[in-house]
Amino acid sequence: MQRVIGSILIITATTGAGYMYGVELKAYLEKMLYLRYVISLIKGEMEYSRAPLAEIFQTVGARVREPWAAWLKTTAREMDRREESAFARIWNRCIDRCLKEAGLKSEHSILVKELGTFLGQVDGDTMDHSLQMYLNRMDLEIEKLREGLASKRRIGNCLGVMGGIFLVVVLL
Amino acid sequence: MEGINRKTQILNILAKSVRKTVLEAEDGFDGLQEVRLRIGQPLRIVVQGTERELQRNGHSHIVTKEEIRETMDYISRYSPYAYENELRQGFLTIEGGHRVGVAGKVIMEQEKVKNIQYISSVNIRVSHEVIGCADALLPYITKNKQVCHTLIISPPCCGKTTLIRDLVRQISDGSQYVKGCSVGVVDERSELGGCYLGIAQNHLGTRTDILDCCPKADGMIMLIRSMAPQVIAVDEIGTSEDIHAVEYAMQCGCKLIASVHGLDMDEASRKPVLGDLIKRRMFERYVVLGNGEHPGEIRGIYDERGSLLCRG
Repeated sequence: MQRVIGSILIITATTGAGYMYGVELKAYLEKMLYLRYVISLIKGEMEYSRAPLAEIFQTVGARVREPWAAWLKTTAREMDRREESAFARIWNRCIDRCLKEAGLKSEHSILVKELGTFLGQVDGDTMDHSLQMYLNRMDLEIEKLREGLASKRRIGNCLGVMGGIFLVVVLL
Repeated sequence: MEGINRKTQILNILAKSVRKTVLEAEDGFDGLQEVRLRIGQPLRIVVQGTERELQRNGHSHIVTKEEIRETMDYISRYSPYAYENELRQGFLTIEGGHRVGVAGKVIMEQEKVKNIQYISSVNIRVSHEVIGCADALLPYITKNKQVCHTLIISPPCCGKTTLIRDLVRQISDGSQYVKGCSVGVVDERSELGGCYLGIAQNHLGTRTDILDCCPKADGMIMLIRSMAPQVIAVDEIGTSEDIHAVEYAMQCGCKLIASVHGLDMDEASRKPVLGDLIKRRMFERYVVLGNGEHPGEIRGIYDERGSLLCRG
């Protein structure tokens, strides 16, 4: 009886781990989709109001959820302090400081930092164009994540169950 | 308090190294009128009409390209795209209503100025309001506590904008000569209100609505339709569209205060479209300014027939 209960527990645990892996992948995709939404809000505000970046970050920061809101508001505050000669430095520092808990992969963190290299530094039309190109790149990244998601989740679930059974067989 | 604010506003937009030099040289900031930066040239300030060259470590502080770039980043809040329209005119207005003039390489597109690139000179002009400068004028341009249609005629740099600003404030708030009423201001070059992000940085009164960076002719009609002002104020009318819009506003029941460049009544009367308006006695008062003893000196106030009411 103890063996049966033990086997069931092992299989349940490994299946759960496999399932959680799939959930995390899905949550990461949603996170990237939300990041894309935040950047599209910035683009929209920029096109509509042509306000300075700090104003746009404050406005968008009030409309999005954490940790994106804190990130944008902190960036706006740092910009208003006017103590850094280059905007990209403020942008990178705020990403490192405020987006830790967002848990972005390093390649996606670099992708967000790239935005700081041209944001605000060119004329309005060029910036609209650059932001659209940037959003297209984000779409590609999201598409890459989405493409692998279904198969990865399936593999995670199967591996969870199979791994549990394998462990039970080995232990028995 | 205002002095401290002004000091912070000016220091905040200067490159850090320039900030340090200015701070060491200028304690007060009350008399500070201009800070001039030119690449490769000494940093200069104008205090109470006197120009001074600033020193760093015993030598002239020579302004570098990086300092100009850093200053422009701070002035534009790292967002030059947001100030494209203003930069096209060669200046932008910052918090506090201070005016920043720039010069550099002009980029043209379809024979119009598109932008200024490679900025080589920055001139920061500190905003100074002269509260009460219209006190002496107000009794002459009001009747039964109502404002008369008034045209201010003045050569450049004689204080007409400062005078209109104070007139707007007093008419809006009300005084012993005029009942406070809603005033619409069309501020095409952000000179009257010194607006920053749409908010007037100068005192324009509690009943004033301001259309910032708006062409005068369009702005006057927009104000009449949307804000129902009792008085409309515009600075430097010049084109025939402006003058036709002035006439339209006068026929809509609004009282008008406008200014125009000119030496005297005769010169204003000879202007193509404006002259016709003067001959038809559309304006009830004419104020001629000069700067004989000081800017804003009133040389004469005339009624609609051109009769002298007061000599300065």
